[in-house]
Amino acid sequence: MKLKRRDFLKATAAVSAVAMVGCGAPKNNALAPMNPKKAIGEEPGEWISTTCQGCTTWDPIQVFVQGGRAVKVRGNPNSKANCGTCCPRAHMGLQQLYDPDRVKVPMKRTNPKKGRGVDPKFVPISWDEALDMIADKLMELRNNGEAHKYMLNRGRYTYMRDIIYDAMTKIYGSPNNISHSAICAEAEKSGAFYTHGYWDYRDYDLHNSKYVLIWGLDPLVSNRQVPFTIKSFGDISDKATITVVDPKLNASAAKAHNWLPVIPGTDGALAVALAHVLLTEDLWYKPFVGDFKDSVNHFKAGQTVDADSFAGKHTHGLVEWWNIELKDKTPEWASEIVGIPAESIYKTAREMAVAAPSVCVWMGPGAAMHVRGTYTAMAIEALCGILGSIDNIGGTMMKGKTHVNKMPKLDAYKDATAKKKFKKIDQRGFLNFPAMKKGKSGSGVVTNNVADGILQKNPMEIKMGIGYMNNFPFSGTGAQRWEEALSDLEFYVHITTHASEMSQFADIVLPSAITTFEKWGYLKSKGNLHSQVSLLQPVVEPMWDVKIDETEIPYLIAEKLAARGFDNLFRYYKENFNDPETGKAPTNSKEFAEYAVKYYTAPSWDGKKSFPGDKIKGLEEFKKAGVWNDARLSYKKSWGKFKTKTHKFEFYSETLKQALGKHAKKHHVSIDKVLDVCNYEARGDKAFVPHYETPFRYGSFEEYPFTFIDHRSRLNKEGRSANTTWYQEFKKVDLGDESWDDVLKINPDDGAKLGLKNGDMVRITSTNASFVIKVKLWEGVRPGNVTKCYGQGHWAYGRVAAEDYKNAKPKGFNNNELMPADYDRISGSTARNGGFCGVKIEKV
Amino acid sequence: MAKMAMVINLKKCAGCGACGIACKTENNTRDRKDGQSYNWADFIFKMDGKFPDLKFATYPVLCNHCTNAACVDACPVTPKAMFKTKDGITMHNDERCIGCRSCQDACPYSVMDQREGGDYSVISFNSDEAAPFEYYRDKTELIPGCTSSGAEIAAKAGATPPMMTAYMHPEYDNVRREGIVEKCILCSHRLADCKEPYCVETCPSGARIVGDIDDPNSKVSILLKTYESEVLQPEKGTKPNVYYIRNYNMK
Repeated sequence: MKLKRRDFLKATAAVSAVAMVGCGAPKNNALAPMNPKKAIGEEPGEWISTTCQGCTTWDPIQVFVQGGRAVKVRGNPNSKANCGTCCPRAHMGLQQLYDPDRVKVPMKRTNPKKGRGVDPKFVPISWDEALDMIADKLMELRNNGEAHKYMLNRGRYTYMRDIIYDAMTKIYGSPNNISHSAICAEAEKSGAFYTHGYWDYRDYDLHNSKYVLIWGLDPLVSNRQVPFTIKSFGDISDKATITVVDPKLNASAAKAHNWLPVIPGTDGALAVALAHVLLTEDLWYKPFVGDFKDSVNHFKAGQTVDADSFAGKHTHGLVEWWNIELKDKTPEWASEIVGIPAESIYKTAREMAVAAPSVCVWMGPGAAMHVRGTYTAMAIEALCGILGSIDNIGGTMMKGKTHVNKMPKLDAYKDATAKKKFKKIDQRGFLNFPAMKKGKSGSGVVTNNVADGILQKNPMEIKMGIGYMNNFPFSGTGAQRWEEALSDLEFYVHITTHASEMSQFADIVLPSAITTFEKWGYLKSKGNLHSQVSLLQPVVEPMWDVKIDETEIPYLIAEKLAARGFDNLFRYYKENFNDPETGKAPTNSKEFAEYAVKYYTAPSWDGKKSFPGDKIKGLEEFKKAGVWNDARLSYKKSWGKFKTKTHKFEFYSETLKQALGKHAKKHHVSIDKVLDVCNYEARGDKAFVPHYETPFRYGSFEEYPFTFIDHRSRLNKEGRSANTTWYQEFKKVDLGDESWDDVLKINPDDGAKLGLKNGDMVRITSTNASFVIKVKLWEGVRPGNVTKCYGQGHWAYGRVAAEDYKNAKPKGFNNNELMPADYDRISGSTARNGGFCGVKIEKV
Repeated sequence: MAKMAMVINLKKCAGCGACGIACKTENNTRDRKDGQSYNWADFIFKMDGKFPDLKFATYPVLCNHCTNAACVDACPVTPKAMFKTKDGITMHNDERCIGCRSCQDACPYSVMDQREGGDYSVISFNSDEAAPFEYYRDKTELIPGCTSSGAEIAAKAGATPPMMTAYMHPEYDNVRREGIVEKCILCSHRLADCKEPYCVETCPSGARIVGDIDDPNSKVSILLKTYESEVLQPEKGTKPNVYYIRNYNMK
């Protein structure tokens, strides 16, 4: 894992500037200390590789350790996806590790009453007592034939998730292993899947791109490759045109060539209007899309076209799409809906066409996590098809290969209880929740609906749950439902680093090893056209007697279950995770945690199989490097074999037609009935093409005249960093925000109408909740809309995050309590964008 | 002899905040208190225009290591506690400092108390009244017996603050004592060891370049020859050595 000489030179080009004055000559010459008798310089230490889990970049980083203390952080120079960079989040990890408010021992609730502001009266207990209580409750359910009334709530995970999420839940005998995935993503995957058969996040060939269209995200701030984007953005803007579509000024828009401040939720109208221009002006990329048989463009606004007159190449259904949706969707039509002049739409389409196929259409959650978001996502992703930029130079790419071992088979360890079939508590696959991961009804997750499932006791009552690295009463929209649902449970166990909002409802709180610094695990991620396997390893001794959530704790629970006569899970753990180097079976939870990581990652370092990418010789080298890089992606590999029904890029999605058809058939209804129940507008063939749907909105414009826009922070570590003082101190790096505060950003024109000045307090009311909040007048938001960053509003978590932990008083308010719970039901995603939350603003 | 300067390429800067936080990890600066930020690296923001024609810019700020340093002029101690090194760094000696704050008052890039205004302050003052890092000296527990305390974490980790980066500098303790001022020393302890200042090393965009502007072949000199540059408050006549090149935005 040596850096190539050329890379080394590049990485140290700047250093040489210093070297010329200080370090070419004898040491300390030019930069000699004023008193040369005294020592100068850093005390010894070691850089240890691990991975940041501050966001879904899963950035490989290194931590500098001096005398057993973690003291600073940098990007891992061995990663080809981040090129040795990390964003501000990684540095904040130090304050999370050394947070005075960390839970250091297992805690037991002694106040049976549950609710916000009700002191749980936690008392410290031993691990043994805590595990006994958990095992007793698990056995009680199993013995009563109620194993299915147990649920496992997964939060942020590493790929060691299999052990607690899959194996433990399934061998124990519950269908209810529920992931967090649909809380903040998934809808965009619908866009990629129903057009080109790819159910995942995309990668982008940024450095070869000539036009980067960033849509519904702020990649300098959040999303899946923040450090690499920060590193590249300036250079890219020198050689490519960057356009950002976002209803508010975001950090990327501030640096882009163009900003298209689309009215929230109307993204689909802009997308189909762009497509309309590309077709009517003969600007589609013919080597990919195909052409009219007579080579004459028959796409004329308002006129249908004969499907037989067009010969698609790697695409399917362009004419059908035109006839069903696009023919009337002129920029003039779109202009009023989206709030952008028609000329800007023409200009954008034409400039993209000139750059085609080297166009990145980078779609993010803001464009997809809408109540009707699947169709918006499809409309945007379809632009990659028209421009031929999918899997092409300078365009939208997919992922490479990572080589890790699979979860050992569970079947032999499942008894009769475990083999019973039940529906899941999130109601996936119900008529009104198709939640179709990869087009399969009920295979996705509807995370945020678990609260309703519990409250409705449908499809079953839930009596017990274990959650880890999650905080749904804070992170789920309609967050109040989670408080109610969790209060209802007989027994809840929260595995956490902090006494979070979710912990307040727990009967047992187990202190978790903190990710990045104290935990064994591994992650798969990508960026810069390299996929990678990245290691998490303990870089310091754990601060307290904390245990690793995904491996140690399930092992210890399994051991307790075995002592109570149910040993299937313990046997599974003991028999399948031997140390791949020595063949030894784990004898305790710590060994298990380490062996399991070795088991999974072995193909990346054991040299047994040969594949493109880094050649790592042995575990020690892998631990030192911290990351295995796949070879760089090559282009057009998917052309001709997209994983759609037709194996083509589908503008008329046969894949979605089949998926919806199967879901409808399962429920003995028509597809139109499914669409109706799921709150989509399309009927008939329109449901199978990318199209514009009117934004669904809670609250009428008359009663709730403003539209609320939720946005992301560059310092949020998925809601886990607000108890650090550095988060609060540098909150101002979020555009328009104020340090140590939570502000509602209002356009000054609206402010003037309401008689508001900076610092005034207003009451903001949605159909879901009402709060008082400080005003910040800010030009970055369109009149008629107000915006606030997600992240503040903790009423628990710790003394920095909450205004008053003891009295459950939040700092500002939590956006997820303002926004009601609803979904893009085709994907199961939580709606949090798309102008669905109407609000009224009153001066107080 | 050298004249150390920093060039910040605003085109590359993404305003992410990493340098500000990384500096706190390197230099063990404490949390804001009583109008003192202790942010040796900080940010100012400019936003002009009206929706949707807006012009936003971030300026990362730090000590300008001025050629005519007002802070040095103002320092009443002999020999001066605030002084210029032969490499052009505006250096501070924490033993000679008497905490009079004349430097803070004189520096055009500093304010005495941020609660009374000012976007940032290069120089901060460590009050006589409280030991540094009160946060990690506090003995109270959020949930008694269950969660930790600052004092316990610091004791267990073996340092205050627990993530203290241990370095040596003849002029400077790595955590400053009460009753003196403190500010950016351009990571002089790192430069002496052939390492970049930590804000430079950790800037994910590569926006920050440090070098000798008296050397015509240094990268900073070349950048300043290639691009127009600006400095903050040139009218004060302090001749700052932190230069900003290119535009943060496309406007």
